[in-house]
Amino acid sequence: MFDFDATLPLMAIQFLILVVLLDKLFYTPFGKTLDDRSEYVRSRRLTAQERLDSSKKLAEQYEAELVDARKEGQSIVATAQAEAQKVASAEIAEAQQVAQRQREAAQQEIDQQKQTAMAALDQQVDQLSNQIVEKLLTAA
Amino acid sequence: MMMPNFLIFSNFLSLAELEVGRHFYWDLGGFSLHGQVFLTSWFVIGLLVIATVLAGRDRKQIPTGLQNFMEYVLEFIRDLAKNQLGEKEYRPWVPFIGTLFLFIFVSNWSGALIPWKFIELPEGELAAPTGDINTTVALALLVSLAYFYAGFKKRGLGYFSKYVEPTPILLPIAILEDFTKPLSLSFRLFGNILADELVVAVLVLLVPLFIPIPVMMLGLFTSAIQALVFATLAGAYIHEALEGHGDDDH
Repeated sequence: MFDFDATLPLMAIQFLILVVLLDKLFYTPFGKTLDDRSEYVRSRRLTAQERLDSSKKLAEQYEAELVDARKEGQSIVATAQAEAQKVASAEIAEAQQVAQRQREAAQQEIDQQKQTAMAALDQQVDQLSNQIVEKLLTAA
Repeated sequence: MMMPNFLIFSNFLSLAELEVGRHFYWDLGGFSLHGQVFLTSWFVIGLLVIATVLAGRDRKQIPTGLQNFMEYVLEFIRDLAKNQLGEKEYRPWVPFIGTLFLFIFVSNWSGALIPWKFIELPEGELAAPTGDINTTVALALLVSLAYFYAGFKKRGLGYFSKYVEPTPILLPIAILEDFTKPLSLSFRLFGNILADELVVAVLVLLVPLFIPIPVMMLGLFTSAIQALVFATLAGAYIHEALEGHGDDDH
């Protein structure tokens, strides 16, 4: 059973050859594959993290811009409303003035026509009364 | 050293012959070799090389099939080496420790799973290469060389300071350790594998059906554990040589 012979050194040499062979065929190339892959995953993770961070930052920025824009919009609406109010009241006042003036003019015209009508009427009354007087006088 | 001959059974149970200690000798320029050990070890080496070549033909970013499996194996080996040697030092030792694990593991399991005994040899029988003391001693001596190499490379002659640290009183024990380490490594593996094969063989001899199956499962389990233990201890010894006894950051 404990039978040592040249098997021992030859087996050792054979084993060392196997170590070199497997190093060339297995450990080095497969190790490279594994390392490359973990490096790839690591770098991809890193870039993904960076992109996530930058997109978060962008989202925050947009959020802030949105708030600003909303505020600006509100102020624009408020000024526009005030302006419109002003314009509207001015126009209303003008329209009222115009109406007033027109009414006054119409009133004047009415008054004038009334006067002329009255004058004509007076004349006719005078005429008629004269005629009546004449008729009465002739009849008498 | 031969087991008693169960001649009555061996007529109809040729599978269950026990031939411990008999070898299929080859002669190489006056040196004798255990042929059956080399045959099975070549099978194991061939299996490993073919598996890695097939898996590594077309490596993709997203692994599938055999590539996936071999990547899992490599990650397991890397974890093993990393646990023993630490993040900083483990990389150059992955091939050595990994090959120890793979060679021993595939050897053990080939011995347990492949019915080598159907293949007739002129003498002896095919079995796991790790069941031969020559193989295990060769591997254990390589581990010894590896940790001496690691120690000298890292710390130069300062490596010897570990023998007198923390106290010179332990010098004999420290020196003894260099002998007990390969001894225990080799005999643990050899004993486990050979004993497992013997137990299975004896049980098959006595009760050919079903009864040996739990023992075979146990054999598979111990085989795997022994491969893990050998590789882990190799890593631990190398780490010890790299760090020394002085600074304790194990």
